[in-house]
Amino acid sequence: MTSAGRRLLHNDSPTPGTLPGSAPELLSEETVLEQARLLDITWRDGGGLWGWLTTVDHKLIARRYVVTAFLMFIAGGIEAAMMRLQLARPENTFLGPDRYNQIFTVHGTTMMFLFAVPIMTAMGLYLVPLMVGARSIAFPRLNAFGYYAYLVGVVFLYVSLFINMGPDAGWTAYVPLSGPQYSPGHRLDVWAQVVTFTEIAALCAAVNIIVTVFKLRAPGISLNRIPLFVWSQLVVSFMIVFAMPAVATASTLQLAADRALSTQWFNPAEGGDALLWQHIFWFFGHPEVYIIFLPGLGFISPIIETFCRRRVFGYLAIVLANITTGFFAFGLWVHHMFATPIPELGQSLFTAASLVIAIPTGVQIFCWLVTLLSGRPRLTTAMIFILGFFITFVNGGLTGVMVASVAFDKQVHDTFFVVAHFHYVLLGGAVMPLFAAFYYWFPKATGRLLDESLGKWHAWLFILGVNVAFFPMHILGLNGMPRRVYTYLASTGWGPLNALSTIGAVVVVISVALFVVNAAMSARVGRPAGANPWDSYGLEWATTSPPPNYNFVNTPIVLGRHPLWDTGSPLPVITGLRADRREVLVTTAFDAEPDYRHRQPNASIWPLFLALCMAEFWIGSIFTPWAVVGGFGLTLLGMLGWGWQSSRQIEVERVDTDLQIIDTV
Amino acid sequence: MTTPLSTAQQSLGDVAELPSVTFGHRSLMWWGTLGFMVIEGWTLALITAMYFYVRQNFETWPPLRTPRPSLTAPTVNLAVMIVSVLPVYLASRAARRLDLRGVRLWLLVSSLISLPIPILRWYELWALNVRWDSNAYGTAAWTIVGTHASLLLLDVADTIGLTLFFWFKRLPIKVMSDVTDNSFYWYFMVLIWIPLYFVVYVSPYVL
Repeated sequence: MTSAGRRLLHNDSPTPGTLPGSAPELLSEETVLEQARLLDITWRDGGGLWGWLTTVDHKLIARRYVVTAFLMFIAGGIEAAMMRLQLARPENTFLGPDRYNQIFTVHGTTMMFLFAVPIMTAMGLYLVPLMVGARSIAFPRLNAFGYYAYLVGVVFLYVSLFINMGPDAGWTAYVPLSGPQYSPGHRLDVWAQVVTFTEIAALCAAVNIIVTVFKLRAPGISLNRIPLFVWSQLVVSFMIVFAMPAVATASTLQLAADRALSTQWFNPAEGGDALLWQHIFWFFGHPEVYIIFLPGLGFISPIIETFCRRRVFGYLAIVLANITTGFFAFGLWVHHMFATPIPELGQSLFTAASLVIAIPTGVQIFCWLVTLLSGRPRLTTAMIFILGFFITFVNGGLTGVMVASVAFDKQVHDTFFVVAHFHYVLLGGAVMPLFAAFYYWFPKATGRLLDESLGKWHAWLFILGVNVAFFPMHILGLNGMPRRVYTYLASTGWGPLNALSTIGAVVVVISVALFVVNAAMSARVGRPAGANPWDSYGLEWATTSPPPNYNFVNTPIVLGRHPLWDTGSPLPVITGLRADRREVLVTTAFDAEPDYRHRQPNASIWPLFLALCMAEFWIGSIFTPWAVVGGFGLTLLGMLGWGWQSSRQIEVERVDTDLQIIDTV
Repeated sequence: MTTPLSTAQQSLGDVAELPSVTFGHRSLMWWGTLGFMVIEGWTLALITAMYFYVRQNFETWPPLRTPRPSLTAPTVNLAVMIVSVLPVYLASRAARRLDLRGVRLWLLVSSLISLPIPILRWYELWALNVRWDSNAYGTAAWTIVGTHASLLLLDVADTIGLTLFFWFKRLPIKVMSDVTDNSFYWYFMVLIWIPLYFVVYVSPYVL
């Protein structure tokens, strides 16, 4: 089969070829339905609470991930609204300084660590296996474990906030402010451990996505046919692999250790160095921005293609731009540190690098503009959000080029100008495409369409609100208003623009509320979507909405970059994966030739157990070092149980011929 | 149960004859192992970079009144680790040949030889001759050795667990692939320790 498959799949013609020696066989409806029935039994996880806790279906886990992360967006948004109310007029007393410190720190921490990265990886965990035509994700239990680790972080941060133990040194937790001397108590320990949980979750998701993309692509998806969203997820996953260890090291091995074990990383009296924190934090923190908005850019291509009814202009250029951005993102971190004593040569280098990274992003934007202008765009809600992206993100990008210059940056450093800049980039570059993605893929995940007229209100109000809320901040920053202050005097003259900004924030709140209402209503009574409501091309549209637990009855065969547009019906497939156990088809990394049938695990409680052990380990270690010993033991137990389950589960199926070999040895 | 979308499907081939167990880079788990190696290797590389970063804050290395590390325990442990690669490799080779007896034997030898490694590691920590809270030099050295030690401990536990499974349970052939992946990870643990050994224990004599 393999060599025959090779010949088939290297055939670039858009018409389906046939394996030499086997005539194309039209599968009868009964065959397909019977296969589907058997698969459903095999891939079904248990019912009830136990089933809910043990499921390893990547779609169920990813859906929870998206919902949890979106709740975090709302929580972070409420904190933002509280800050805006406090700053709406001079010498306001709505929030005191201590409460304000906690609120702005938790807002930043929530938005960066608990909303933006998790929701982007969660969208990948849902969509990537479907887009590459796989029955499941590469490591289903690791996926569940990652989600539970993240959930522990979420709960821990918000419980801490409500018992007045919320971190209060800013989301960047600069030392020495965050160190043992200036932040006694446990507030900053909470920050350090929350970060650890989310980094572990992000790393699990990244490894899972990388291996899924490399090894589980349906036959025919050679590298030059990988969907653009999948490319962006792949690049981002690699970035996570190299960025997250930096912040996990900084928060756990350094900051938490300095605070709990009296290590001396950041204590200058004993040869430590406060700037070391900024280096390692921003070595993570800058790529983080791209980790958040590259998936945002990944959403755009399929949406534009679908609603313009044409293939994207410059596929190769967009892929290369993604990869280039991923590389350059690691070379700019020092531009966050221009106000520290950095050698002049370093300043010039990092200025240049910060300017250069605008080029690949520009390339992508021009490719989309060409696609838009040469297509027949339909102004759906998703497309309105994409237009909002162009306006808002390009503005944020332009101020980015401004702050890349040392001379300018020193003037606006730590002012509201910077706040305006990165909210334009992140809301424009990540959140607007994310909302577009919600409108586009909601029908796939729920089987029902979101309401378009409510959606359009949501879109226009959101774009308007964001610009009204954040544009005045540019001017406030140029007028010298520093960030992270809880109030200001009337004589500064900052009052009116702050009031305007708060009005914008209220509009944003209203628009997001409209979306929540829309999602809640549409999930129940929205118009049924059918498998492919937008008449789109990706493999995710080749299965039902919502997809069955096994994703695809038979593995699709892909003969072009736009599978459903290229081949239409009947769907070319490859048969032979077993229906009586969870098998996925593993293919070769580059050419996606069928290689072997991999057995996937059944439902399992061990991911949850292991996440709770780690919770004991990290959270307990704040209060007593003995928690580390107990946690380590529990973790070993969890790993043993994990391994035990794999082998026991297979033992039940000893009748398999390929499992017999060991007995004959 | 949701019904499949398109009942119109055309089969162009069949994969039923493909194997269900593969080794090395063909197998999914190998890729997952590789992913975590990159993450852990990169973390150790970052800590090493920070070791040399704080070096800049000192006139002498180790700092004044701090003795140099002792070399006995670290060197013995390095030797044990290098020797341990052999049975680990033989276990992996036996696994690829589906030789159950060989796997059992060499996993047992691997377990026995790796047992003293975490114990020696304990002496290795004290061989640094500085406490983690004395100064940034002590902090950096303890962090490198300690981080590697926690990964080491997990992998030793993994090897022993695998050995117990193989001796006391009837296992499917698929687990043979886990033996090779466990060996793969062990090579990484030993290989990455060699430069770290030179950084932590030898560099204070030359820097």
